[in-house]
Amino acid sequence: MTDPGVYLTKLSAFSRLLRMKGLPVGPGETADAARILTDLGFEDRERVKTALRTVYAKSREEQLTFDRVFDGYFLPEEAMRAQAREQAEQEVKQQEQRRAAREELESMSSQVSLSEAQQETYALMSEEARQRLRSFMDRYRGNAERNPALYSEFIHSVFARTIMEQQMLMEDAGQGCEGLDPELGILYRDISAFQDNEIPRAIAAIEAVAQRINGELSARKRKTGRSGKLDFRRTIRRGLETGGVNYRLCFRRRPPRRKHLVVLCDVSGSMVQFSEFALRFIQSLNRVSENSRVFLFSEKLMEADAFRLQNMDRFREYVKESGIYGRGTDLGTALESLCACKPAVLGAGATLLILSDTKTIDQQRALRALGEAKRLSGRVLWLNPIPQGKWKYLRSVAAFSSVCAMLPCSTLRELTGACRRLSVNG
Amino acid sequence: MTLEELKEKMSRAHYVYDDTLATVLYVALTLGRPLLIEGAAGVGKTEVAKVMAAALNRELVRLQCYEGLEESKALYEWNYQKQLLAIQVNQSEDRDALTKSLFSDEYMLERPLLKSIRSEKPVVLLIDEIDKADEEFEAFLLELLSEMQVTVPEVGTIRAKTTPFVVLTSNRARPLSEALRRRCAYLYIDYPDLDKELAILREKLPHVDDRLCAQVALAVQKLRSQEAILKKPSIAETLDWAAALDALGIRELTPDALRQTAGFVLKNNEDLEVLESEPVTRELTGHCGHCGEHTHD
Repeated sequence: MTDPGVYLTKLSAFSRLLRMKGLPVGPGETADAARILTDLGFEDRERVKTALRTVYAKSREEQLTFDRVFDGYFLPEEAMRAQAREQAEQEVKQQEQRRAAREELESMSSQVSLSEAQQETYALMSEEARQRLRSFMDRYRGNAERNPALYSEFIHSVFARTIMEQQMLMEDAGQGCEGLDPELGILYRDISAFQDNEIPRAIAAIEAVAQRINGELSARKRKTGRSGKLDFRRTIRRGLETGGVNYRLCFRRRPPRRKHLVVLCDVSGSMVQFSEFALRFIQSLNRVSENSRVFLFSEKLMEADAFRLQNMDRFREYVKESGIYGRGTDLGTALESLCACKPAVLGAGATLLILSDTKTIDQQRALRALGEAKRLSGRVLWLNPIPQGKWKYLRSVAAFSSVCAMLPCSTLRELTGACRRLSVNG
Repeated sequence: MTLEELKEKMSRAHYVYDDTLATVLYVALTLGRPLLIEGAAGVGKTEVAKVMAAALNRELVRLQCYEGLEESKALYEWNYQKQLLAIQVNQSEDRDALTKSLFSDEYMLERPLLKSIRSEKPVVLLIDEIDKADEEFEAFLLELLSEMQVTVPEVGTIRAKTTPFVVLTSNRARPLSEALRRRCAYLYIDYPDLDKELAILREKLPHVDDRLCAQVALAVQKLRSQEAILKKPSIAETLDWAAALDALGIRELTPDALRQTAGFVLKNNEDLEVLESEPVTRELTGHCGHCGEHTHD
């Protein structure tokens, strides 16, 4: 058996590692872990893992992080050797790849000097992408001799675009999402990339999160209900039950502020899925859905029937029947119609929530209409399903976000955050 | 007590457990930490406390949480009517002595939390569905969970005579505070797999036919995996269903038997409608829903 002292030293380093991964581990937990390991022994790896997990991880999410850190840290000896071997082989292979790529580039582009990062990008490219680049360089080789500066600039721009595409691909693939737990993982994935068979799971996740937010809010509501001015009349009446002794005090409750929500939903083609998910969320939030009106738009605007929205399973059918599905997006017209509604829909007590990807025809008119809608309503919030990393490439996002607050909602987790903000701030 | 002894005691209490659960319980018991159990409704969270009480031969003290639960219902309450009567009866006596006696044990109504720490013998304290209680109540529990003591303004601090084994359960209806979580050992329970569910059926209903148990366990697993089923059947519902089938003298899970007893396993209309569909019936029973014959595909 290995000396327990070695394990206990490792345990303190393990606690530090868990802290670095975001688990709030204090000296108390480390002491508990040491105590339980001394008691249980170190022979059975699974038992040690369960015992430490009980001490260190205090929620299901923390359990997943703990498992990852534990499996990476307390490796069985054979696994550790195999991992080191694999890593060394991988390193050699990558070096070989880099060297071959560098030679290939040198032979191809004597006129163009490429930076280290660009050479690295070339080494990481798929064979298909490399082939495309090679044929492209061959095709324009004549230009290189006539105008080397222009040719070099052109090649650099090709590399810049490839790097950007790779970045976007990595973002789309949901890098860094919680892959271990399907229920949690789905919260971190791009909504537009959901497969049909994943939608029921996503809906279940939305309902679970909405239920949690409702629980949180009702707890807060109850808490604030006890503050305020003393209600003499009720206190004295209640005192009669206890022989005139004012045993329990009653307080006046503040009347709730009546705010209402106006949701403007883009249902043009690809936006339907996002709009459906966001509406499901809003419908599930008791406090938000109590006073809300939903408008759907593509080229024109129509108000959604509140009764039909109660069954969100038939949302798509409803949108298709309405005749506005699959058309272009004209946010300007939609906002103008909304502002012109009689009796007025927007007002000082209204929060206008726009669910759209900012792609619209006649952007200037849409901007003017958005300014007018903002003037009329108390607050305007925009939920954008495009990942925040891509916003810098889109001019429309910059233009609209200069007028109103825009929240990224490409994943269910982000959507949760946005809806929570909406719900908490009334 | 060693881990093996705990396992033996749980087996004697007819409890079906896996190694993970036994280890977690042992860790919480050894460290004297409260155990916070989370999981969907009906996975057996409350049962853990009951079994621990039986296995450790301790009394189970239960506090059921709900919206608006206050100290007066959870910890203690002064018997106000009795105090008023005492004031009226003893008006002529020494006022200081009377005031002092009014806030003594005689007038104190003991509630579950106080009972659990004043008990002469250690008990198992079950704080059930803590997520239904208010945040204030959660904060109020912190002193008890970390120091095993409570403070009553009129009396002072009451320290635990014996340390109870505390089990808190939550359906995750709302997130619990970090402070509460940090004071507890944590366990997440999921629905049991086929083998464990079958073992539970055999342990709890030894008189039911083995083949029927296997069919019921398999059908319940399939029901849980159906996305369309809104309320997944719990372990208690599996047991009820098997017992109902047995009581009706049914020896095989056929489409007819399924229809007759579906109300024992599914508890809302939408779910029962899903069960009416032919492919689901066939998947659950392995029989054709119309003719009742075995399917051969």
